[in-house]
Amino acid sequence: MSETVHLTIDGREIAADPTVSILQAYAQSGAELTANVGCMGQGVCGSCRCMVRKDGERQVSTLLACETRVEPGMQVSFIDYFLPAHVHHYDLKDLHDSWGMLDQIRAVFPEAEHCRHCSGCDRACPKGLPVQSGVAFSVAGDIAAAAAVFDQCVMCNLCTLACPENIRPNHLGLFVRRSVAALTLRPIDLMRRLREVASGEMSVNVTLPRVETATAAPRLAAPAQDR
Amino acid sequence: MTSMISHAQALQALRPGADAPMRADGLAVNDLLERFHPDYGAKARVSLRIGANAGAPCHPALAGLLESNALIDDLDLAGAEPLATDVLVIGGGGAGAAAAVTAAMRGARVIIATKLRIGDSNTVMAEGGIQAAVGADDSLQRHYEDTLRGGHNEGDRALIAQMVSDAPEVIRWLIDLGMAFDLAEDKALGSTLLRKKAGGTTASRILCHRDFTGLEMMRVLREAVELQRGIEQLNRCPAVELLSHDDGSCAGAILYDLERRSFVLVRARAVVLATGGSGRLHLQGFPTSNHYGATADGLVLAYRLGARMCDLDSFQYHPTGVAHPRHLAGGLISESARSAGAHLLNGLGERFVDELKPRDVVAAAILRECAEGRGIARDGQTGVFLDARALVAADPDILETRLVSLGHLAAKCGLDPRQEPFLVYPTLHYQNGGVMIDGDGATSVPGLLCAGEVSGGIHGRNRLMGNALLDIISFGRRAGTRAAESLGQRQAGRGGINHVHRWRRALAQAELPADVRAPLLYPSYGNFHLRRTAAA
Amino acid sequence: MNTLNQVLLNPAFQLGADLDGWRAAGGGQGLDAALADPGAIIATLEAADLRGMGGAGFPTHRKWAAAAAAPAPDGDKYVVCNGNEDEPGTFKDRHLLRWTPHQVIEGALIAAVAIRANRVVLYINPHQAEGRAQMRRAAQQWAGTEAVRRIERLIGKPLEIAVVATSGRYIGGEETAVISSLEGGFPFPRRKPPFPAESGCHGAPTLINNTETLANVPHILHHGAAWYRGLGVGDAAGTKLYSLSGDVLLPGLYELPMGTSLHDLIFVHGGGMLEGKAFKGVFTGGPSNTLLTARDLDVALDFDSVRLRRSRLGTGAMIVISEGTSIVRKVAEYIEFFANGSCGQCPSCKAGTFQMARLLDRVDSGRAGPGDIAALRNLCRILPGSGRCGLIDGAVTVVESSLHTFPAEYGVAEPAPAETA
Repeated sequence: MSETVHLTIDGREIAADPTVSILQAYAQSGAELTANVGCMGQGVCGSCRCMVRKDGERQVSTLLACETRVEPGMQVSFIDYFLPAHVHHYDLKDLHDSWGMLDQIRAVFPEAEHCRHCSGCDRACPKGLPVQSGVAFSVAGDIAAAAAVFDQCVMCNLCTLACPENIRPNHLGLFVRRSVAALTLRPIDLMRRLREVASGEMSVNVTLPRVETATAAPRLAAPAQDR
Repeated sequence: MTSMISHAQALQALRPGADAPMRADGLAVNDLLERFHPDYGAKARVSLRIGANAGAPCHPALAGLLESNALIDDLDLAGAEPLATDVLVIGGGGAGAAAAVTAAMRGARVIIATKLRIGDSNTVMAEGGIQAAVGADDSLQRHYEDTLRGGHNEGDRALIAQMVSDAPEVIRWLIDLGMAFDLAEDKALGSTLLRKKAGGTTASRILCHRDFTGLEMMRVLREAVELQRGIEQLNRCPAVELLSHDDGSCAGAILYDLERRSFVLVRARAVVLATGGSGRLHLQGFPTSNHYGATADGLVLAYRLGARMCDLDSFQYHPTGVAHPRHLAGGLISESARSAGAHLLNGLGERFVDELKPRDVVAAAILRECAEGRGIARDGQTGVFLDARALVAADPDILETRLVSLGHLAAKCGLDPRQEPFLVYPTLHYQNGGVMIDGDGATSVPGLLCAGEVSGGIHGRNRLMGNALLDIISFGRRAGTRAAESLGQRQAGRGGINHVHRWRRALAQAELPADVRAPLLYPSYGNFHLRRTAAA
Repeated sequence: MNTLNQVLLNPAFQLGADLDGWRAAGGGQGLDAALADPGAIIATLEAADLRGMGGAGFPTHRKWAAAAAAPAPDGDKYVVCNGNEDEPGTFKDRHLLRWTPHQVIEGALIAAVAIRANRVVLYINPHQAEGRAQMRRAAQQWAGTEAVRRIERLIGKPLEIAVVATSGRYIGGEETAVISSLEGGFPFPRRKPPFPAESGCHGAPTLINNTETLANVPHILHHGAAWYRGLGVGDAAGTKLYSLSGDVLLPGLYELPMGTSLHDLIFVHGGGMLEGKAFKGVFTGGPSNTLLTARDLDVALDFDSVRLRRSRLGTGAMIVISEGTSIVRKVAEYIEFFANGSCGQCPSCKAGTFQMARLLDRVDSGRAGPGDIAALRNLCRILPGSGRCGLIDGAVTVVESSLHTFPAEYGVAEPAPAETA
């Protein structure tokens, strides 16, 4: 088998197979794991945020532990999730006059105009999204471009944590994306079907297919006697 | 030990440029399932001895948890922080979030308690999409019949009919919440939704946001919960037991607050259990595509309080879990890939099943190839090929547009999907059965509702792609509505755990062990022990 | 002899923006001496052993010499008086700006003479509104004076004295952040080198000195290096402004001989511990330094002596903690200050201070799990050196030293044993 990699996670010295992720190494180490874990490798839930300092490097990066492979001498610290002290409240229904979109962005996310262009959010993003430009697009009203920036955001909130102006860029991005969908997405096939269902023109007949013509289900083995 | 074909040999057997031939020895569906699907074998079920389903079949590992002792004693409630609310939602996935938002919009005070954080769920991991019959060539009836047939006619017809009829309105509700769906044409108004085909469907019916539909859905729902007034979130607060009234109805739940390391006692007029599935039990040694929290907690809690269940011996093994590299084993390769035209190939370079058959059929076919020596071995892992080479060659942009997640996954696997196929093997994916519900999510226990994967009866013995995301929103909203109706009904009494005492008597009389305790809350490798932690 | 308030806080100099009064009290003579022999200024400072009073304790003459030697490509050189003072427990510069603006400005003018600077920038925290107003008035009073004309003749171009508001942010006091700020941008710290003395504001050589440092300069030039050295205790030179706060009876600003013992500061001048409670420790400087404890009461409060105790004198701020005050809560408070002050460029600074604050909160509220202390120590190893400036390093120093010195407050029995998995 391949050699073992030694690393430190939250102060625990851990020996791991070099093919595993930081999160798997932590789980296999016997540590209690009840937080900072979610999809275990798919990289979509944004739970397993961590800071990583690689051996011999000064830089500390923010990454997702389920997507990062272990390396010898790595030092890792998980970053806890928390409920934010401040959220940007809005109701999409308030937006139904879409002529007010620019004002809405400013009213809901007033901090966005204060972006100091420190690029901390870009550096913090484990997905490498150009977050700062997404903020700028939102402020400028380039809604399509902003929505595109945040399309693959997993809402790990690392940019929110990193932003010194409390902009909460990922939530701004989501606000923009939600607005676009709620205000402009009007598929005509869905509209037609909704009308057909509402009018009773289309419905389900549960007596079909008749039970006798339905194909028989595969047979199951009998329950085992012992467990 | 079954023989396998080496990875190198299998690569050699691939025919470049040509369509792979289909094997001629296909079995009849029932035959294939009975012989190769994990649900149908001798190790797949035992009879439950106590509880509402006594005498009914259940997977042995799950039976051990259902017929287990409670984690807590009466004494543990001393010093627990008491809270009261109209509606308690347990579980922070799509079903729980939909229930919470709906109940709160109807004026109920809601507490949503999650084991990890809101959004940490199988929902966020769903890639393929959501079914809704919106196409002109499609109908609610076809959706209904496909779903019924996919579940081997074992699903509850009324529930299915209601769910498929809800589907168009579910999509509209999601759009109104700000969820984006891919369109067939790029124009603001008058466009139609992009529809994909799914295994076992007779029409293109999968609506999606690229191939991370669940992520899109969950981030919108999570934000909706966070911004909805009237909802209090209790994250890192797993439910360890339900509370009951003396008449056996549900009175709330006991949570364990991992941050404060103490119990919280939540009294509620209605409880919506939306705890999801059980993939992290790794039934029969299978890897799983499931979220870390999928440990069957809701089934255990509901069963102990007397809820009736169904199909507890039926699970879905998704055909295309990652088999190599080992550290990604079990992770999902979305059905979107097959839906878009990727093929399954055995070690001889042959196709062996129509890739768009229902999932149980395709999974059984893969297990058959491996059992009969046509599987592929690589670094101790076995499986068959999922080949997307032709697909990518025909549409070079597809990994940036429709199959974004597939591209990411390929990078993690260290392979180039243009050059090399994935090695795949079935992965434990979905709990088909669960708590029996009516159309509003109500269970046989008054005051206890269920929504999402924890409930059963909708998908029969096999679920179609895209019906899970539909299920959670359709039933999540209905359960939330029903739960909010309990507003102004009789005041919740104190509530207690007398049902646990009754349960312990039943355990003793059936000579079942008292030292097996559940719910598990976390997989075995989470190294969490409530009693040790709570005592510390 | 009364050792209190001999120089900078001398009551005779607490005049506000009154140039005539300043001259009457002996002001202006330092600048005259400097103009009489510009080449001797830096040597005089070296002989006086004047140090950077902003916290570093770096020999002032070395910075001046570097700035003097640096070529000025566009002809410009800058002298910047750093009056951004914003850290908890430090309240010395605001006093000097408010009450002795000429003492400060004269120091800056001498610096201009020494390095041939044509631009003098008085960089003042806008939160000190009164100090800023006094400085602006005082700066105007210098305009057109004979002294200024002599400087202009010496450097061969007009001398510009500007009062500039800082961003008011803590980070804006960092030397390279001062440069960013003066260039009109957000006060982002930059990587060094280049050092500001060589390439600072708009690429011009820029000498940045703390307010207290500059305030000492006229007196040294006036009275001579030997006089200044003689003010200090032992090997230490001059006086120091100590900002005394916390659990003492008489908190306040004290000018004492550099090298006065911690004990004397607290018990002689500060009136002793509040309510007679036992002394527990002192957060010095930023507060981003190693804590001083009861064992350190005898330490001479000068740069070198405090460093021998592995701490730093810093700004001269002494935040005294008694039994009954929680070290962990204080540390958490400071970490939160640093977290809010972090400029955002380096995610490890924001995320690191956040996670440290989380862990400290857990410890403080008695909810710390078994792994939390190990996680905190782990952060203390990972974070240092990861930022562009020293902010994160300072934050780590406070956490690490409090954890090392007061393990019981963290619920740890013994000082850090070797980590076990």
